[in-house]
Amino acid sequence: MNATVIIIFLVIVAMTLVITYFAAKRTNSASDFYTAGGGLTGWQNGMAIAGDYLSAASFLGIAGAIALFGFDGFLFSIGYLVAYLVVLFVVAEPLRNLGKYTLADMINARFNAKKVRGAAALSSITIVIFYMIAQLVGAGALIQLLFGIDYIWAVLLVGIMMTIYVLFGGMTATSWVQIIKAVLLMLGTVILSFLVLKNFNFNIMEMFTQMKTATPHGEAYLKPGVKYEIPLDTISLMLALVLGTAGLPHILMRFFTVRDAKTARSSVMWATWIVGIFYVMTIFLGFGAAAFVGADLITSTNPAGNMAAPLLAQALGGDVLMSFISAVAFATILAVVAGLVLTGASAFAHDIYGQIIKKGKATERQQMLAARYASVGVSVFSILLAIFAQSLNVAFLVSLAFCIAASANLPVIVYTIFWKKFNTAGAVSAILTGLISALVLVSVSPSVLSPEVGAAIFTGTPLFPLTNPAIISIPLGFIGGFVGTLVSREIDAKKFAEVKVRANTGGFKQL
Amino acid sequence: MAKSITGEVLQGPVTKEGSEVKPVDTGETLEVPDFEKIERSEGFKNLMRKKKLFLIPATALFLGLYLAFNIVISYTNWLDTPIAGDIPWVWVFAFGLFAMTWILVTVYMKRAARFDKMAEETLREFGYEEKGDI
Repeated sequence: MNATVIIIFLVIVAMTLVITYFAAKRTNSASDFYTAGGGLTGWQNGMAIAGDYLSAASFLGIAGAIALFGFDGFLFSIGYLVAYLVVLFVVAEPLRNLGKYTLADMINARFNAKKVRGAAALSSITIVIFYMIAQLVGAGALIQLLFGIDYIWAVLLVGIMMTIYVLFGGMTATSWVQIIKAVLLMLGTVILSFLVLKNFNFNIMEMFTQMKTATPHGEAYLKPGVKYEIPLDTISLMLALVLGTAGLPHILMRFFTVRDAKTARSSVMWATWIVGIFYVMTIFLGFGAAAFVGADLITSTNPAGNMAAPLLAQALGGDVLMSFISAVAFATILAVVAGLVLTGASAFAHDIYGQIIKKGKATERQQMLAARYASVGVSVFSILLAIFAQSLNVAFLVSLAFCIAASANLPVIVYTIFWKKFNTAGAVSAILTGLISALVLVSVSPSVLSPEVGAAIFTGTPLFPLTNPAIISIPLGFIGGFVGTLVSREIDAKKFAEVKVRANTGGFKQL
Repeated sequence: MAKSITGEVLQGPVTKEGSEVKPVDTGETLEVPDFEKIERSEGFKNLMRKKKLFLIPATALFLGLYLAFNIVISYTNWLDTPIAGDIPWVWVFAFGLFAMTWILVTVYMKRAARFDKMAEETLREFGYEEKGDI
């Protein structure tokens, strides 16, 4: 790698460390650690949500997928964006009004039962682990390519950086790393889009006409069906994306960093604009890479197409732009994994240690210590997993995380807020049914079992036909909650009245 | 700093995240309000009615359009025909879903400002008020 990339890379690392230093000074309580004291403004949190959400899989993965598969590569983006309507309409405000640090807090505002908290913590931890392995494996492969270092060192480098941010700077450092990353990512994408459009003479019609003949797919490139050929599988996957975002614990946790529901709402507004504009620009990146780099070079550098954006930068802006885009990709990875570490740590330290073991009576000092131990624990555990999981398919892990989030977390959130008869047994059974059915169905799906040797993790005949089980496991989560509720028949109308009033007015937070 | 855990410890007024939430007419100790009475009040019922009137149709609309789009592109070739030049309809509909998201968010922001006012009125009616800023 050349000197430019090393300099830009070091500047970004130095910048994030300075932030962490100042953030560390302001991180003196558990509330500071988990929620940055709850003092972020709408636009700050909106940028941080975008920074948390737009992973390397979005930036490099989608640009590459569009370059290689045209419209089908873009398809995911629609689900990723529309999902924010579910977040805004259903989850964001009640979550802010009822919860404190974690999703389990919000559900327990109604049930106050250890088993509900335990189940919610378990599903959060499962989702975080899958998502984290996906990010770290992707990061390792990417940094290996970008900077020419070994996979293990690449994973360790990212792992150590994320641990430093979270351990010392908590949510304040994590949020600002995410905000800076969002700015850098938007800047890099705008520059690349501008250069691509310039090469198409700023004429969208001309761009489409050229793309019709620019790739090996010909006309089909601009239409659906190049990559996703099994209709039911596509629909299942798209269902997981649109409903999963509202159950992703690291996104939900961001809503505790603002002071009230109104700010939570405006942060979603900022996030939808940033995320949406970003996804529109990935079309230009993908088309540009297909036209000016070419499918052959993209796939020979990385078969999944992950290097399309850096290669496009090289083609249009030379070494300097490529170095900048590579550094942006690095910052992107750091911001996402830091958010994940913090979320995993909150489930262990706040839910399991603080609330279940210590019954909510842990002192401030004990809470802080637990949070920091848990952060290191989560980091070390995921680094180790990532080192051994190098060969796993990143896109598969990400879609699995969305599927579990939609199946295990969304039903319980919806029932908690809207269903009067919902009860403790229903909450536990909603979470566990969604979680277990998603995991079991995936483990017998074509992603895990393939008759072709080496095509999946194990060789064998898949017992379930779809690669993503969302279309079955999401309804199962809802049915699980419904049946569990009816079976136990316990009902607390008074508590539901309280939850309903608090969720919808934002009053009585201190209860 | 609030050490009470949401829903688990009932205690007096505490400062949470810099904003002070205080019962207006009770003194030091906070009594658990009669939430069922608030739930049955005209103001709150009206708020819930207005919220449902927007959220249920809006959610049905965006989920319906999203699913319809995915079903159509997965099972048919309807959107493969060009709308202008070499741009197939599918891109227009895809961008339409983006536009729909932004429009619904903007409309909801406007509506929600009204919901906030109604919620505030309900809280005030029952003697609670959010006080102070960061």
